[in-house]
Amino acid sequence: MLTADRLAGGVLVALALGVLVESRALPIGSLRNPGPAFVPAVLALLLLGFGILLIARRGPVVRAADAGWSDWRHAVAILAACAFAALALERLGYRLTILIVMVFLLALVERRGVLATSLFAVALAFGSYYLFGTILRVPLPLGPLGF
Amino acid sequence: MGRIVVLTILVLAATTAGVAAQDAFPSRPITIVAPFPPGGVADLTARPVAAAMEKVLKSPVGVLNKTGAAGAVGMQYVATSKPDGYTLLLALSSISIIPEADKLFGRPPAFTVDQFEPIALISADPTILVVRAESPWKTAKEFIDDARKRPGQITYSSSGIYGTLHMAMELLSHAAGIKMRHVPTAGAGPALTAILGGHVDALASGPAVVIPHIKAGKLRPLAGWGDKRVAALPDVPTFKELGYPDAEFYIWAGLFAPRGTPEPVVARLREATRAVANDADFKAAMDKMQTPIAFKQGAEFKSFFEVDARRLAEGIRRVGRIEEKK
Amino acid sequence: MLETFQNLYFGFAVALAPGVLLYAFLGCVVGTLVGVLPGVGPLAGISLLLPATFGLDATRAIVMLAGIYYGAMYGGSTTSILMRIPGEAASVMTCIDGYAMARKGRAGPALSIAAVGSYVAGTVSVVALMFLAPPLAHFALRFGPPEYFALLVLGLLVLAYMSTGSMIKALAMAVLGLLLGMVGIDQMSGYFRYHYGVVELGDGLGVVPAAVGLFGLSEIMLTAGQAVRPDVIRPRLRELLPSRQEWRESAGPIGRGTTLGFLIGIIPGSAHIISSFVSYAVERRWSRRPEEFGKGAVAGLAGPESANNSATSGAFVPMLALGVPSGPIPAVMLAAMMVHGVSPGPLLIRQQPELFWGFIASMYVGNVVLLVLNLPLVGLFVNLLRIPYHFLYPAILVFSIVGVYAVNNSVVDVWIMLGMALVGYGLRKLDFETAPIVLGLVLAPIIEMSLRQSLAMSDGQYAIFLTRPIAATLLAVGAALMLLSLRPLLTRSLDWRARLTLAEKGE
Repeated sequence: MLTADRLAGGVLVALALGVLVESRALPIGSLRNPGPAFVPAVLALLLLGFGILLIARRGPVVRAADAGWSDWRHAVAILAACAFAALALERLGYRLTILIVMVFLLALVERRGVLATSLFAVALAFGSYYLFGTILRVPLPLGPLGF
Repeated sequence: MGRIVVLTILVLAATTAGVAAQDAFPSRPITIVAPFPPGGVADLTARPVAAAMEKVLKSPVGVLNKTGAAGAVGMQYVATSKPDGYTLLLALSSISIIPEADKLFGRPPAFTVDQFEPIALISADPTILVVRAESPWKTAKEFIDDARKRPGQITYSSSGIYGTLHMAMELLSHAAGIKMRHVPTAGAGPALTAILGGHVDALASGPAVVIPHIKAGKLRPLAGWGDKRVAALPDVPTFKELGYPDAEFYIWAGLFAPRGTPEPVVARLREATRAVANDADFKAAMDKMQTPIAFKQGAEFKSFFEVDARRLAEGIRRVGRIEEKK
Repeated sequence: MLETFQNLYFGFAVALAPGVLLYAFLGCVVGTLVGVLPGVGPLAGISLLLPATFGLDATRAIVMLAGIYYGAMYGGSTTSILMRIPGEAASVMTCIDGYAMARKGRAGPALSIAAVGSYVAGTVSVVALMFLAPPLAHFALRFGPPEYFALLVLGLLVLAYMSTGSMIKALAMAVLGLLLGMVGIDQMSGYFRYHYGVVELGDGLGVVPAAVGLFGLSEIMLTAGQAVRPDVIRPRLRELLPSRQEWRESAGPIGRGTTLGFLIGIIPGSAHIISSFVSYAVERRWSRRPEEFGKGAVAGLAGPESANNSATSGAFVPMLALGVPSGPIPAVMLAAMMVHGVSPGPLLIRQQPELFWGFIASMYVGNVVLLVLNLPLVGLFVNLLRIPYHFLYPAILVFSIVGVYAVNNSVVDVWIMLGMALVGYGLRKLDFETAPIVLGLVLAPIIEMSLRQSLAMSDGQYAIFLTRPIAATLLAVGAALMLLSLRPLLTRSLDWRARLTLAEKGE
């Protein structure tokens, strides 16, 4: 049975092994003069140990599937919107990106009305630009339309 | 039909805009990229330069801090930006170091030095060698002699491996035939803290940050890596005078543009920087920071830059990858 | 002593001059704003506004920048408590119990306690700064790589007290955090580690994007999708202030947090980030009801918040007394001084008494200003919670993205934040704690570097840790603590943690 602990332990073990593999390219040095791979290797071994412990121990039995994943669609939508923002930020410019992200989140994900969405989106995009760009003097990217 | 009209208008508008942009440089705000965090040497040099250039070019000039990876992030950013003269780089000597270090480690370089067109040198601080006031060496000669007697026993801090402060010491070690022990730290600040706390014996540093401590009697300057003595420290000899002409190192700051920037634009920028170097406000600002202006341009800067780059490249290759030595 | 008061009087004359007062006030307001906004922390705030101070004279510039610094520390607790988004790295611990208190409907009291705790800590630590700066600074300078290593190893032991659940899981998370901290340029050898060609990862993942993603964004992802919306709380005025019980509970933690934070803050380097972590652990160990921690214990909020603020003043000690750049923020302030022609150095206090005493006095004034600013704002902020969540969280998202982007002008930071948000989401679902990851991320590079620097200093001899008095003492303390916690295994009696876990399981 795939318990939450076993799943987590498995991920940790995989990560630890990954780090060990990646560290082969770096010199490990010696105990007297540790190289760049020394401490990461030690840590990876520790993580491996913890991962195995998690897999093997008799802890509280919580099935991985029961961990409450029902809201994953919502969470993924939010993450996707943010990922779009990251991609578009320097290409489309700040205000346009934020406008699009807001419309996506409010209208499509949260199903708010058109008027509320557009008002809020515009207010937030321009308001935050003013706050960060003008008051805090952060150079926020301008898009192709100079906007 | 309507669509064709609109399309034509757009195309005409775009071309005219393009033509208009080529008319007078600069027609848009210029950005000088400082690849170090605010408050660092590059930043503190970039701001007076930007302010003075704005006056000269009569167009806004702003400073953008793009930090990371000891300057590599900002330098890579300018190397790959459009060579139209609107994105410039204020680089320190590390511009020659980073690609060499990359080569040493067999990494694809973040950028290469020939992706840049040198415009002008703004300042060149010679590094000076300081030791703690309580240490037994009163002159550079005593220091070097002691280092020869006890190779690998004298410790020095630096701002990071292959960094400017490390390379300065490296050049000295090679020139004087001595071997010292290197304790890298995470930056120039921690390097200074390390020597002030007595955790290392020596430090190569730019003069501006150590002069207050010298005056307060906490640090003792032994010699300088410059061609001439530092103005604020007239009693401190140069390594050249002491017989080590190969120990020459400056932490310099210069203005660069991406290679491929059109000639007239480069010429205008060079003209502008010459005016900047003579600007009274600029001079006053640099004075306040106790950083002397060392203006070089065109061919002069190019040769200075190339000599420096070659020196550093040799030094880096000599240091090699440290684990291979042990 | 008398001379100090005379100087202080002189300092107040400088600080209360309308021009200087204005800039202190401005700094505090901007600082609060910067602190409230996720991502942009005091360092980013000071760096962004440094150019704006070039036209001012030295005293005003420094006073304004300092105002931004501790204003940000005050403001950072606000988003931590209300939305579980750390305003800056040091506010991560406030997210835990502060947010739990808000969920219980005690958002107002939480904010008030944070504000008052910060005020007390700020004021007391300025007094300490005033009297103890030079001797303390000398002591602080004696912390070199071996001492750092010993101190931080001790700090890691603190982890044992941070988690509410399984030890194994907490330790695993700490190791994960430590591993994440290994990304970047290895300062000792020049190798790039685990960066896969992305130059921006040269300096590591970054505490700010990781903390905002791990805590804030993952919280949004967890809450937004829930069918049952979090309750909208309509507080009455009386409910905005802490109860007498709560005040009593916060007194001790505030005192302890202040002392602890100040002592940790004077140590050069970024060690002051761990002041809130250590304070949390101390409070938990001290408390008679450790099971409350994580569910809204007042001590778990008051201690770290106070530690935070007094570490801020502590960080100024080496900077002002000796002109040593004791961390990134003091380094920027030193640079600001240099730009204005002030030579920072050991003689600063004597040569520029106006600057030093004006600075100290303005810190008193600033703390008062911030208390006055923050207490009434409590009502305002709590009302912000009334905004329907589906409008609120997109706004928080935008501010988080911009805030994280603004720190380095880097989209890579935003990606890191998103990655960590995903990680945080998964971990929370699988019942793991995320706070140890941040601690590990912060400590890893420093611990490793200190170890290797120490070995470089001693040419490979591990004995250096035992021959240097401070390092040896710290390691001895650490060993003693470890033995003490292992003792139950030998005497077969259950220690408080095991009792705790049993009690929880029994429910």
